[in-house]
Amino acid sequence: MFRVPILIAIALAIAFGGGIWSTLVALDATVGFGAIKLGPWEAFPEVQTAAADPYAKSHRANGGRLLYASAEGLVFTASVDDAGARLSGNCTYRLTGHTPPARLWTLFAAPPGGAPPSAQSDLPTALNSRIVLRDEAGSFDIALAATARPGNWLAVPANGAFRLTLTLFDTPTAGSSGLIDLTMPRIEKTGCGNA
Amino acid sequence: MLRSGLGSRPRFALQVIFAIVTGLVGAALLHLIIVLLLPEFSERDAYTRILAKGEIHRFYRLGEKPDRTGLAKDDPFVELAVCAFDVADGPVRLTAANSGVPFWSLAIYDQSSNEVFSINDRTSAGGGLDLVIATPVQLTTLRKSLPQAISQSILVETRQADGYAVLRSLAPQKSFADIASQFLDKATCTPFEWRTRSRF
Repeated sequence: MFRVPILIAIALAIAFGGGIWSTLVALDATVGFGAIKLGPWEAFPEVQTAAADPYAKSHRANGGRLLYASAEGLVFTASVDDAGARLSGNCTYRLTGHTPPARLWTLFAAPPGGAPPSAQSDLPTALNSRIVLRDEAGSFDIALAATARPGNWLAVPANGAFRLTLTLFDTPTAGSSGLIDLTMPRIEKTGCGNA
Repeated sequence: MLRSGLGSRPRFALQVIFAIVTGLVGAALLHLIIVLLLPEFSERDAYTRILAKGEIHRFYRLGEKPDRTGLAKDDPFVELAVCAFDVADGPVRLTAANSGVPFWSLAIYDQSSNEVFSINDRTSAGGGLDLVIATPVQLTTLRKSLPQAISQSILVETRQADGYAVLRSLAPQKSFADIASQFLDKATCTPFEWRTRSRF
């Protein structure tokens, strides 16, 4: 007696539930297609252009963030280390090497989806190319830890996952066709817990 | 319509499977429709948020905490100012004098947040910002008799009349904070008044 209404209800529930759920998941999972992946680092050089794919356009319309244009800079993010494990505030990491050519860069850590750290913070929650200490070859070695470290220290959130954001300002990286040869800094885990 | 219990069970199962398949196809369609139409109907996009800041044709500084429009700085070292413009009635001129900021950059977007033009201090003439945004028709008129005031300006063509500009300045150390702030505070984003001189 109630078969037809039940069948229609099943079809509608799956259509609306599945459609909305899959869209939310898709928009939350990634900024879009067309990512540059260099080890754990990920950047989307075309996401602010008219050539961006529909997912990227949808994502930026929903996010409402002010993106960097091509002459401004390129934002790389990393939420895993070189071994592929999630970056966690309970562990310590070393960030070593060079960035791709850029006039300036800034680096900070924030919880996924969280606000960037304040510039007024007492801890070194953000570093940039002008204040970082380098060795003779010009490469840097930054300790990522929740507690103080000697040398270059980037204070990360004490607990839970975090995401690194490395912004290159005035970089040819975005327009470069030889992106694969670019080297990004390595992220190595040095220990976890109190050890 | 009365059926014996023997034949109706498999038939009902088949109908349920058919309903589920229909639902999945509908879900896929709905997914595509939402993704494709979201940019048109979104009320959380950057342009809507900047419009919500107040009147157009002026720069608004953004703070570290999201304001009621949800806009905030996205890098601790980068100071930000945004300005929504409309060039339908005439060109808009953006200026800012460089007083020693180590880096500044400007991005111009149309109302759907597609990049129209971008520039930084190295690519600008003299290190300062001096730029005129106009529609193709206005630009043709402008170029015919370039007013003296904007003879050194960069002319930017935009196909859509509405859009917004984002001006960033970098303060890599605390001592640069005042200069970076001043640079943004003194930046202007105003309609450019120019009189077409009658010539014989």
